[in-house]
Amino acid sequence: MKKRIIVIGGGVAGMQTALRLAEQGAAVLLVEKESELGGKLRHWHVLFPSFTPASEVLTELRRRINASDIEVLTGAEAVALAPKSVTLRDGRELACDSVVLCSGFTLFDASIKEEYGYGIYDNVFTSVDLERMFREGRVAKADGTRPRRIAFLHCVGSRDEKVCQQHCSKVCCITGVKQAMEIKRLFPEADVFNFYMDIRMFGPGYEEMYREAQQRYNIHFVRGRISEASPTIDGRVQIKAEDTLTGRPLRMSVDMLILLVGMRSNDDLAALAASAGLDRAPSGFMKPRDLFLDNVRSNVGGIFYAGAVSAPKSIGETLNEGIAAADAAARYAGL
Amino acid sequence: MNFFAPFCIPFIIGAAVMFLTLAGKWATWLWQLPHADKMRILRGLPTRHTLAAIWEVICESLLHRRIFRINPLLGYMHMSLAFGWFLLIAVGWIETVAYLGFRYVPLQAHVFFKYFSTGLAHKPVFDFLMDLLLLFVLSGVALAWFKRLRSRMLGLRRTTKHVWGDRLALSALWFIFPARLVAESTTCALYGGGSFLTGSLGEWLSAHVGLLPLMNLESAAWWFYSSCLGIFFVALPFSRYMHIFTEIPLIFLRHYGLRSGEKESSFDHFQIEACSRCGICIDPCQLQSVLNVHTVQSVYFLRDRRYGMLRRETADDCLMCGRCAERCPVGIDLNTLRLNSRDKIRNLPDERRYGYLTGLDRSSGEGKVGYFAGCMTLLTPRTLQAMERIFEAAGEEVWWADREGGVCCGRPLKLSGETDAARRMMHYNTELFRKHGITTLVTSCPICLKVFREDYDLKGVEILHHSEYILRLIRSGRICPEHAATRFTYHDPCELGRGSGIYDEPRAVIEAIGELLEPASTRENALCCGSSVANTAISDDGQLRIARSVCDELEATGAEVIVTACPLCKKALGRGTKEPVRDLAEIVAESLPRG
Repeated sequence: MKKRIIVIGGGVAGMQTALRLAEQGAAVLLVEKESELGGKLRHWHVLFPSFTPASEVLTELRRRINASDIEVLTGAEAVALAPKSVTLRDGRELACDSVVLCSGFTLFDASIKEEYGYGIYDNVFTSVDLERMFREGRVAKADGTRPRRIAFLHCVGSRDEKVCQQHCSKVCCITGVKQAMEIKRLFPEADVFNFYMDIRMFGPGYEEMYREAQQRYNIHFVRGRISEASPTIDGRVQIKAEDTLTGRPLRMSVDMLILLVGMRSNDDLAALAASAGLDRAPSGFMKPRDLFLDNVRSNVGGIFYAGAVSAPKSIGETLNEGIAAADAAARYAGL
Repeated sequence: MNFFAPFCIPFIIGAAVMFLTLAGKWATWLWQLPHADKMRILRGLPTRHTLAAIWEVICESLLHRRIFRINPLLGYMHMSLAFGWFLLIAVGWIETVAYLGFRYVPLQAHVFFKYFSTGLAHKPVFDFLMDLLLLFVLSGVALAWFKRLRSRMLGLRRTTKHVWGDRLALSALWFIFPARLVAESTTCALYGGGSFLTGSLGEWLSAHVGLLPLMNLESAAWWFYSSCLGIFFVALPFSRYMHIFTEIPLIFLRHYGLRSGEKESSFDHFQIEACSRCGICIDPCQLQSVLNVHTVQSVYFLRDRRYGMLRRETADDCLMCGRCAERCPVGIDLNTLRLNSRDKIRNLPDERRYGYLTGLDRSSGEGKVGYFAGCMTLLTPRTLQAMERIFEAAGEEVWWADREGGVCCGRPLKLSGETDAARRMMHYNTELFRKHGITTLVTSCPICLKVFREDYDLKGVEILHHSEYILRLIRSGRICPEHAATRFTYHDPCELGRGSGIYDEPRAVIEAIGELLEPASTRENALCCGSSVANTAISDDGQLRIARSVCDELEATGAEVIVTACPLCKKALGRGTKEPVRDLAEIVAESLPRG
């Protein structure tokens, strides 16, 4: 009889894990809350640092899933889990031989930082809104006109004690650089500013991309967080910041303010962790048993993690971790 | 008649040390008062303030009326000890006069009269009265012992952790009255007299104890009683019991108009040493109840400051919400004392920081009504937008003091102890308000409101919180918000409620719009949101935990929307709940008819 392994979450991490498990000969059940697979990648336009369309990655993953014998259960939300079973919202209890939790992250709600005016002023957007505009092929101010000056603000809901998000969301720095370059391609005459605390270019090709953004695209990087935003009479956004390199306060009016929202842990992790006795990190994300040799295992035998459920990660890292977690789960189930 | 026995020596020494120390302390404190305060006392002496002070001394120092309001049993405990002991002394004095007529009798003869009066004919009325009073005091002592075991029964969840000096004085005090009972009973056993208490115990002793042991017991008991008194009196000026003799002058000085200020002054001594460390301030403290911080409450702050061991962390770790001051039975101005301690620790203005103030004016618009948003309202722009809409609907011509950015009102700096820097801000804003000739100043921030009212010199300018201003607009019909079935609950901001006494106006505004549901802790007892600018030591996690506990109470009302009237509270509560949190102005603006 085949070993049955349940993968919770049908985003990039869940799909990759399921595929690898199927390769290993497991009977895989992929449980997804939404009505289709794909997770947050569905809303993304192109991926850093290569500008690869997100749809390209997603289409390939979906094609492989369809070609495999993985059982997919959409519209099903896991509310409790144990090493040998998963309970769904509708009360069904699914038995299995091990579980891989790939439920991802939640985007920080920018309206909590009311001082930036998201949801209050017309021309304040999040990085997710901008990605949607890129996908729709229409980036414009709220009144439909072309923006001439755009500011990106890094670390919204990341590294911010005031909103209890102490961790770094890791991918927003490079996302800010990528989006600024895309904007500049659309509007070569526009002035683009990035307001940052630190620029963390950790991945292959990221640093080069950052330099290119400055040298070839003439994108301005200002070290200093924006303290507040307010509307101007002509519908623009006035921002106040401090350029901490020159030590001077700064005010400027921009046509669009883009907030690079961070990743935070899912609200339902508390209940899931409690049901199985899983440890969580102070940031709220799941805590692996060990950060080096057991980084896809939980503290409970038979439950594994892949992707952003345990910390913010890039797409590439998530894909790798899917394979690692699948291998660990398969070995646990005796495959 | 001889009024001396060797056992009186501990008492005599104790009483002498106590009275000399007291006289020394009072004289120094009074001498060091600023000249203006001395004049206040002199001018106040021959007025009705003196009578009012005497009445308050009777009500509070003897009867402890305020403690009765907190818990009747706790009130009775304090009253039986204070008023009971006072009556024992007073009636004892009358007793001596009744026995000996008006003549000089040394102090110890009054106190140990039972011992010295064995040769006189008994007056049963006094025997009875004195026994009754002793029983009254003993019942208080019994309650005090009981309180150590079961403080909850007396309305206290947590009691003060005492230093060893206090423990010594406390133990001496606890033994004084049982020792007196035994001493007087042995004397009654040997020489007769006494009433239902000492008399009965005396009879029992004489029936069960031989004459020689009884005589030894009598001598030992009087020595013990006198020693307890002596120890207590020596410890009194240096321990918590200094409050007995400090609260009385404090009450008088307060009636003459003396107050503590943002700089330390000699008057502070009267306030600090008037603290009895009763610990009533501990339970209301949310740092204690939510965060398990047990070393910073007012009782410990005052103790540390009194003994010169105040640490910066203790002075800084306080929300200054005023919940403890609201309950303090001595009415000590706890926030101001903490503030001037911070001033002493931190007031080091950096002159280079204020260059930008010169010639700065970013205000806009023109009108007799000025609106000051304040830093926190600029960080919660929904409130600012709502105020714009309300002003527009009322057709008010508004001068906007800081919509494009302004200078802080100064209160956060003041609360952190940088009082001189705060004065710079206050001076700048006062000049700005005067220059634009406004007659009304509206602010949506209670922190700004409090400093405008208390520290700014703005004669001729009416200062209003937006809740007061909006209520006026509604009452005069200048705006007509529509009433709907929405259920609101209201969180009292500390600076607005306990700080400025504004409780009714925001409630009246909410009731004009929908239904108001009160949370469990409300008005004077309202909880602090936890994010007070006054606490520079608390962690963000601590602030969040307090906010969550407050939100739990607010959510329990079943309201759909949590309303507050302070931008800082709004931000703080927003972190602790999933329910919508709105400023008063927002819900008013939303209920204004469109178009």
